[in-house]
Amino acid sequence: MTDTTALLLALGLPAAATFLIAALGSRPNLRDGVSVTTSVATFAVVLYLLNGFLDGARPSVTLFEVLPGLVLNFAIEPLGMLFATVASGLWIVTAVYSIGYMRGAGEKKQTRFYICFAIAISAALGIAFSGNLFTLFIFYEVLTISTYPLVAHKETPEARRGARIYLGILMTTSILFLLVAVIWTWNIAGTMDFRAGGILEGRIDPVYVPLLLALFAFGIGKAALMPFHRWLPAAMVAPTPVSALLHAVAVVKAGVFTMLKVGTYIFGVGFLSRTGASEWLVWLAAASILIASIIALTKDDLKERLAYSTVSQLSYITLGMALANQMGVVGGAMHIVMHAMGKITLFMCAGAIYVAAHKTKVSELDGLGRKMPFTFIAFTLASLSIIGLPPFGGAWSKWYLMLSAAEAKHLVVIGVLMVSSLLNVAYLLPVAARAFFVPPRGGMAHSLGAAAAPQGGLAEAPAFCVIPICVTAIGCIILFFSVGGLYEFLLHIPILPESTQ
Amino acid sequence: MTGHSDGSKDDPKAFSWLSRHLLWVDNPRYVDRLVWGLAVVCLALASADFAYHKHSYFPIEDIPGFYGFYGFVMCAALVISAKGLRVLLKRGEDYYAPNTVEAEEHPEFDLDREKFDA
Amino acid sequence: MPELLSPALVYVVAAILLPFIPQGLPRQITMLAVPFLGVAVFWDLSYGTYGSLNLMGMHVGLMRIDALSYIFGLIFSLAAFLAAIYAWHLRDTVQQVGALLYIGSAIGAVFAADLVTLFVFWEGTAIASVFLIWARRTEGSYATGMRYLIVQIGSGLLLLAGIILLYLETGSIAFNRMELGSLATWAIFLAFGIKCAFPLLHNWLQDAYPAATVTGAVILSAFTTKLAVYALARGFPGTEMLIYIGAVMTLFPIFYAVIENDLRRVLAYSLNNQLGFMVVGIGIGTPLALNGTAAHAFCHILYKALLFMSVGAVLFRTGTAKGSELGGLYKTMPWTMVFCVVGAASISAFPLFSGFISKSLILSASADEGHYIVWLILLFASAGVFHHSGIKIPYFAFFAHDSGKRPKEAPLHMLIAMGLTAALCIGIGVYPAPLYALLPYDVDYQPYTTAHVITQLQLLFFSALAFAVLMKTGIYPPELRSTNLDTDWTYRRLLPAAIGKLQNAVVGTWRFGVRLTEARLDRLLTGVYRAHGPQGALARTWPTGSMVLWIAVLLGVTLLLTYM
Repeated sequence: MTDTTALLLALGLPAAATFLIAALGSRPNLRDGVSVTTSVATFAVVLYLLNGFLDGARPSVTLFEVLPGLVLNFAIEPLGMLFATVASGLWIVTAVYSIGYMRGAGEKKQTRFYICFAIAISAALGIAFSGNLFTLFIFYEVLTISTYPLVAHKETPEARRGARIYLGILMTTSILFLLVAVIWTWNIAGTMDFRAGGILEGRIDPVYVPLLLALFAFGIGKAALMPFHRWLPAAMVAPTPVSALLHAVAVVKAGVFTMLKVGTYIFGVGFLSRTGASEWLVWLAAASILIASIIALTKDDLKERLAYSTVSQLSYITLGMALANQMGVVGGAMHIVMHAMGKITLFMCAGAIYVAAHKTKVSELDGLGRKMPFTFIAFTLASLSIIGLPPFGGAWSKWYLMLSAAEAKHLVVIGVLMVSSLLNVAYLLPVAARAFFVPPRGGMAHSLGAAAAPQGGLAEAPAFCVIPICVTAIGCIILFFSVGGLYEFLLHIPILPESTQ
Repeated sequence: MTGHSDGSKDDPKAFSWLSRHLLWVDNPRYVDRLVWGLAVVCLALASADFAYHKHSYFPIEDIPGFYGFYGFVMCAALVISAKGLRVLLKRGEDYYAPNTVEAEEHPEFDLDREKFDA
Repeated sequence: MPELLSPALVYVVAAILLPFIPQGLPRQITMLAVPFLGVAVFWDLSYGTYGSLNLMGMHVGLMRIDALSYIFGLIFSLAAFLAAIYAWHLRDTVQQVGALLYIGSAIGAVFAADLVTLFVFWEGTAIASVFLIWARRTEGSYATGMRYLIVQIGSGLLLLAGIILLYLETGSIAFNRMELGSLATWAIFLAFGIKCAFPLLHNWLQDAYPAATVTGAVILSAFTTKLAVYALARGFPGTEMLIYIGAVMTLFPIFYAVIENDLRRVLAYSLNNQLGFMVVGIGIGTPLALNGTAAHAFCHILYKALLFMSVGAVLFRTGTAKGSELGGLYKTMPWTMVFCVVGAASISAFPLFSGFISKSLILSASADEGHYIVWLILLFASAGVFHHSGIKIPYFAFFAHDSGKRPKEAPLHMLIAMGLTAALCIGIGVYPAPLYALLPYDVDYQPYTTAHVITQLQLLFFSALAFAVLMKTGIYPPELRSTNLDTDWTYRRLLPAAIGKLQNAVVGTWRFGVRLTEARLDRLLTGVYRAHGPQGALARTWPTGSMVLWIAVLLGVTLLLTYM
């Protein structure tokens, strides 16, 4: 298998699986088997690519030319490789989890669900491997459209309303801002390729750089930069696996990944730093981090709270790009991984709580920890990772973001990151702490949770739900200790133009 | 709390040796003697200052009985000012919330309440 | 012993395995054995740094052994062992695992040779220790635990920020003596200060410790604050400001301690006061003073644990630790009373008890350096601590007016734990030489001189006389069920009120704005639908409809841009 075939295979596998899933719609076990198998196969192919990449292979495929100069091109670079690995790896976890969740919650139209899910993954990989802005834009839109039925899955008026907001904001911003930015870039640079060090330097009047950056930053609605974040909480009407993979990993990370990619390969970090064009974005991202956290504090609905937490955490990555130095890019990219691992766990826990206890509100969880210890322990671990505490992965991304802020002389940003951590403590930890340590209303704890036999025994969600949760929660810890390799990998992200390297 | 009835059926003989020998502390007469005894010890300690040479760091140490005097005065001042402070600072146990640590009972599972059995 | 990276590893591994070890004897023995295994890791290693690695370009050293870390590592392990005996009855996995992780983190932090390792364990102590509070499993302890955690994690974050700034400044993360000056060192200093309960940053201590479980409070009392003392002694010895901070620290808690009703909170205040002595020692920074700090930390951990154990035993048997509800317990809990008195005598620095041979070092050091006022304050604080910890605690719990409570004597394992600790307190007081030999500097110091003994006895007996007189005359404030306002008022009352006001304002404005835009947007979109969207299944198809519009707009924009 050559690297280019592998590249196409990674993109094609999930797409091809949709037909098989559709055909097997009447045989759920087989259908879900196909979904899991495809996810494993896709991940294997991505790993193969990763292996080749580490050996120095840089495959590139051009599929066809739409117009002269407008080509559908795929290429592999470190950021994309990272995003593809995260998205496809966590797809396996979610595929397994979906089986438990969709059946446990008795969701309808599961076949449609799995089809759209596979397309979405395909699109996410397309974004990861896109070699130019045009390709990225196409797959960006495919991802938006393919996830729309997933958000509206329940087909209730509420779900439709949520989905409408979802599609409305993502489409509007992408066409109104992103497309304009893409065309503008093409116009002045004459190319849309992602190149080390950027393609804009020397071709654009520095006065316009902040404006172009604004078009990108707001156009990439999936990065949920305030004030274009509303779609994310609105999308929480979706079944939890969707929230978990798409709105904690694939979709939102596609957004911030695009942000990083535009920052490093279109503008160029050095160019941004020299022109100071991203200065305003630093402040906006910082504000976004704090405001979203404060809103999260006020939300009683667990998924909504997590959604606002995601909005806040995504801005970490945007911030990393806007700080415009290497540590910022490293920290931002690292945060893609760390946050993905943590947030997917949190969402899956929220789903497990819903499946097992039919509870959706934080205030209803008192005493539930005794019945669902694994879920809530996992929730605790993932919360600590999101907060950014050792020994969990999130600590390192925060470390590099802070380092980057210090390097950029943005001391206030360090303060923002600290306050944000404390806010995270305030809105995330009560969930598990209340479940474990606050007795259900009207009663005192008369026996010990873990020590005494729980009344009525364990009442966990199905194993298909719980096992993936435990896997990702442990993943948060492993990421802390294995960060060295990740860091080395991220240093491959080219910061300077090729000629000067 | 059920505690208050326990004391009425005390059988001092059931107490341990040490406890039996301390029962006098409940007798005001002996307590008075204890306080007087304390005063005598204090006086003795203060007069001891004349009996040895002290290597002093600060001149104030050379005043005979300085340490005792200082301890007495400062402690009295401490208590009196703390009493004044209480006027400013004292609030109900449920001041911050109805179920604060101060206001709620310590949960039973963490305790092993057992009565003394004679 | 194979060369392990850090004694903390022993605790962490034990914590991971613990849930799989059956409750009862196997687990109890594990809890007792872990401190010994931990000590075995560093017991006979020569001074130096072990477990050095290169982490992403930073030089990390997991275990630095020198005199200072050695003595703290030793006393932490000893405290862990004594606490494990005291908690023999415990059947709560949460507390057991939490305690192991907490103690392991504290020891790991003490041996950390670099600031990143320190940070990791620093936060480790914060996270793990909160479970000892939450394990009480009440609404009140949950809320207290959250407050405690936010303060503790806040301290860690400040430390992190400081480390990052320092790393950028110096390119090194080694944990050595620092000079206050840059923002980086100030942040680190403040981080240490929060954990060390500096004045105005102190209240998490008094807030949280009385909220812990019976055994939790004993464990908490030993590690967090002494870790901070260690960190200050390592990072900022001889920083003059610490002398004054420490002096204030010895002073203000004693006023609170006099009027506080919850005896465990009284102990928390006196803990704060004792930390002040250590901080003064660090601030003076002479070998004698630093020896005093290390020795005082060593002794303090023991007698403070002893006091928390005895009050804990009372709580364990009666269900309360409030002075107003207790009294007369000497009749049925005589052993607990005796151990409490030993702890009280030690903290009051009676000759022949441990506090005497450690506190003298600090007082002498302050006098040596001519800090007149500070010396007077420390003397006052010594009398004060005798007053509230030495007399008040035993008096109101075991004597005073008879509460009528006749609880059974503390269980055997608690008595053993208290007995051992009490024996150590007396042993060190009588024969201080082995402890002095462990101290970081070679200093020849003789605590038992005539002058020392007589002056100290004068101070203490006259203080006792003052207590007796005030008691007899009825001036002494009675124990009353109450909450006393402290700095926690700012974040439990003032801040929430201010936020509430602000929130109302912001939410009001926001709602108004949203209503306004939504109405506009609705009108606009309805218009768009009417023009472009087919009736019926709007939800599914309106994007297609509006896409046409957008593309039209877009083409226009493109055209514009082309000619720009």
